[in-house]
Amino acid sequence: MTVPDIQTISDQMVVALARSLRNGEIVFHGVASPIPMVATLLAQRTSAPDVVYVSIAGGVDPKPGCLPVSTVDPLLRGGSRSAVTLTDLFDLAARGRLDVAFLSGVQIDANARTNMSVIGDFGRPKVRLPGGAGSAAIMPRAKRTLIWRTKHDPRVFVETLDFVTATGNVDLVVTPLCVFRRVSGRLQVESRHSWVNPDEIVAATGFRVDVNAGTPVTAPPSSTEITGIREIDPNGVTLSEF
Amino acid sequence: MIRGGWTEEAMQSKLTTLSAAIGTIRDDAIVALGGNTLHRGPGAAVHELVRQSKRGLELVKTAGSYDIDMLCAAGVASAVSAGYVGYETVLGMAPSYRRTVQSGGVQAQEHACYTVIAGLRAAIQGVPFMPVAGLTGSDLPAARDFRLVADPYSGESVVAIPALLPDVALIHVHQSDQFGNAVIRGSIFEDLLMVQAAKTVILTAEEIVDGSAFDTDATTISSLYVSAVVESPRGAWPFGMDGHYAPDVDHMLKLVTAGGDPLAVSAFIDSIVNEAVPS
Repeated sequence: MTVPDIQTISDQMVVALARSLRNGEIVFHGVASPIPMVATLLAQRTSAPDVVYVSIAGGVDPKPGCLPVSTVDPLLRGGSRSAVTLTDLFDLAARGRLDVAFLSGVQIDANARTNMSVIGDFGRPKVRLPGGAGSAAIMPRAKRTLIWRTKHDPRVFVETLDFVTATGNVDLVVTPLCVFRRVSGRLQVESRHSWVNPDEIVAATGFRVDVNAGTPVTAPPSSTEITGIREIDPNGVTLSEF
Repeated sequence: MIRGGWTEEAMQSKLTTLSAAIGTIRDDAIVALGGNTLHRGPGAAVHELVRQSKRGLELVKTAGSYDIDMLCAAGVASAVSAGYVGYETVLGMAPSYRRTVQSGGVQAQEHACYTVIAGLRAAIQGVPFMPVAGLTGSDLPAARDFRLVADPYSGESVVAIPALLPDVALIHVHQSDQFGNAVIRGSIFEDLLMVQAAKTVILTAEEIVDGSAFDTDATTISSLYVSAVVESPRGAWPFGMDGHYAPDVDHMLKLVTAGGDPLAVSAFIDSIVNEAVPS
């Protein structure tokens, strides 16, 4: 595998997520989420102009002039015509009216369950992780969850989680190597990125995956999508995720 | 002027110093912290807790960063009830939080953010618990002893989050009058829930203003909840303050960098408690 630069990886992940958003969906991301932020703004200007974008900052459909690295920043209220509170957004998810939530995991298993809590014992952990934020509440209640993770190795994609922080209606998992789709509760490789061989995905994944020469290649970003990403994110805030 | 039938002269000013306000907080108190991640946290109040060498505090917040990391680093916190502790992708993990939890000095009482909200709502409404949707399939309810109750109508089970009743909420606001009628601009996060749930509320304010200047309907916080008001320009620092200043990432980085090494952390904390807020 010739490993591309992180901008290329980031662009591929952004477009894979952006293309999966459907027109009219209400889409939410939380803390520490630059890639979902750019993906949602890209979808609004390309494939899904009527996506409704909400974030922890509370602005509904913000038109941020300059993108922050912190995805709670007041800049994500800029250009909004209305605003809601964080509590409102959790309520929206709880009652089943949130269409899409972007979430992540330090560990992810074959069922797309996530661990954001601990390595080792919960009460006296070997490694205390940041915590799942809203994941455990949102993932079972949002209609679809899209997971993204900027690292793909056997320590991330594991057979057995140290702790199940969250599980729920995961649709896709997008990584620097591939796009997984959850089918009948289990992750399957839907497409591999152009720079990855099938056996490299097998080697990088701690659970069994079926991937072969017939597995489709993820469509690379179009020139329109690349132009969109550069205009939305000229300073490359998504690169802070790598 | 007349406000709600009371003359201002008859209402008692709640203006006090930061030192006096924080001095009312006892060791082992449950302390709710306003703001979210790098934004509008009560930075000045957090530094004063460190200065006064408080001990045994349980911190409550949905998503914290420098505040929780600092109070763990300084030995002020003994438990953290939060959904997320970290500096997002700006600076990553919170190393002092991580180190003190791993060494057993601090108990990480992980929440799912919405469960903090549910616990605060129970406190606000004077009920012992709040049912909450979600959490299905998560190990958190068992690990945190969040129990299931039967819906008395349908018989279906639902997770019941116990009331979270903070002894004090520390909230930094844009403006307050001397009685605690206050305005927050931009994202409010869980601050109003904290104000209503806590037994006492300490406001630090960028600016103290004459409350008669407020449009009643635009006032975010009512004085009826507020115990003390402190004039505190740049009082969110090193957190950002919407409309005033951005997060001071360079300052936060010093705590993150020192975080793995208790000696370096002590030196950093000494420099903080003796340092004035940069203006």
